[in-house]
Amino acid sequence: MYRGSVRTVRRTGTLILASLLGLALGGCGSAGERSVDASAAATEFERLLSSADFKGLCAALAPETRSELAESEKTSCAEAIAAQDIPFGGAVRKVDVYGRQARVVLESDTLFLSQFRDGWKVVAAGCTPRSGGLPYQCTIKGG
Amino acid sequence: MRRFVRENGLTLSFGIAFLLALAGHAIAGHTEFNNQQAADGLAQIGLGDYLMSSDFAVDVTENWQSEYLQFFLYITVTVWLLQRGSPESKEMHKAGKESDKEQRVGRHAREDSPRWAGAGGMRQAVFSRSLGLVMGTIFVLSWLVQATAGVSAYNEQQLRQLQAPISWGAYVGSADFWSRTLQNWQSEFLAVASMAILSVYLRQRGSPESKPVGAPHSATGVEG
Repeated sequence: MYRGSVRTVRRTGTLILASLLGLALGGCGSAGERSVDASAAATEFERLLSSADFKGLCAALAPETRSELAESEKTSCAEAIAAQDIPFGGAVRKVDVYGRQARVVLESDTLFLSQFRDGWKVVAAGCTPRSGGLPYQCTIKGG
Repeated sequence: MRRFVRENGLTLSFGIAFLLALAGHAIAGHTEFNNQQAADGLAQIGLGDYLMSSDFAVDVTENWQSEYLQFFLYITVTVWLLQRGSPESKEMHKAGKESDKEQRVGRHAREDSPRWAGAGGMRQAVFSRSLGLVMGTIFVLSWLVQATAGVSAYNEQQLRQLQAPISWGAYVGSADFWSRTLQNWQSEFLAVASMAILSVYLRQRGSPESKPVGAPHSATGVEG
């Protein structure tokens, strides 16, 4: 953090400026694509929920959420998720994607998702907001 | 080649040190990011993905903006503010923009002066402030990137904790943004103040940032 010579930095100004802009634009990269993918994963989760495909629902969960659910209910994931009161969310109303995390707000539910190697997985479902900036209250969640 | 290296040693060595430090930061930051992902039961990411992440961008640019702010302020404030006895300051009677003759501009430009120093009007006005303008512009851009990458990194953390994301406007008024900003600014201001006053009484033989070892403490604007 020490202030070095002014002359040292002047020549590299243009290069650094270009790097800055590249970093800024690069960071914004494929947010649109990720948003579409997260939305599609949420829609698929809702389809599995409406058709009571519990094995499919478990496959759509993030690993930590899946194991947390099975451990807390002391049974298989499919049986455990069948016993949960996860509301049917309906159509997607809003998608927020930041980095590898997403929040998908549905007509009657909110899902939190995270990006894994094999696509977007549901980290938490059956979520309702709480006041005061507190975390959402969720029916199922990992960790 | 050898001559080029000798004549540009300062820029080259700091440029290389910058790249090495940035590479080290990338590796350490990537490891730290993945540690956090593992703790939350989330997927690990590759180094390439980390380098394109808002997490890396905000960490880099919060330091860049403060460094360029420091240079911008130092360059512009030392036009008017003085420090008796410091080689970082002009002499006591030279506060201000100085005369055209002292600055070798307009009709006082010499054969070897940059072309825009001799030109009048806008070109001379711009060139006379070009160092501050470039430093100030890089500062503003870096700070904007910090704010933009910062809200993304902050919201990623919010979503990880099952909390609602916030808008860019809310973020630039948030504790996270100002904590990142001011923690860097305070260290820059301390370094400048320290350099200005310590160079009055202390010496570094051979350094142009110091007065000659035998120069009196009261000598101002003298570089070694």
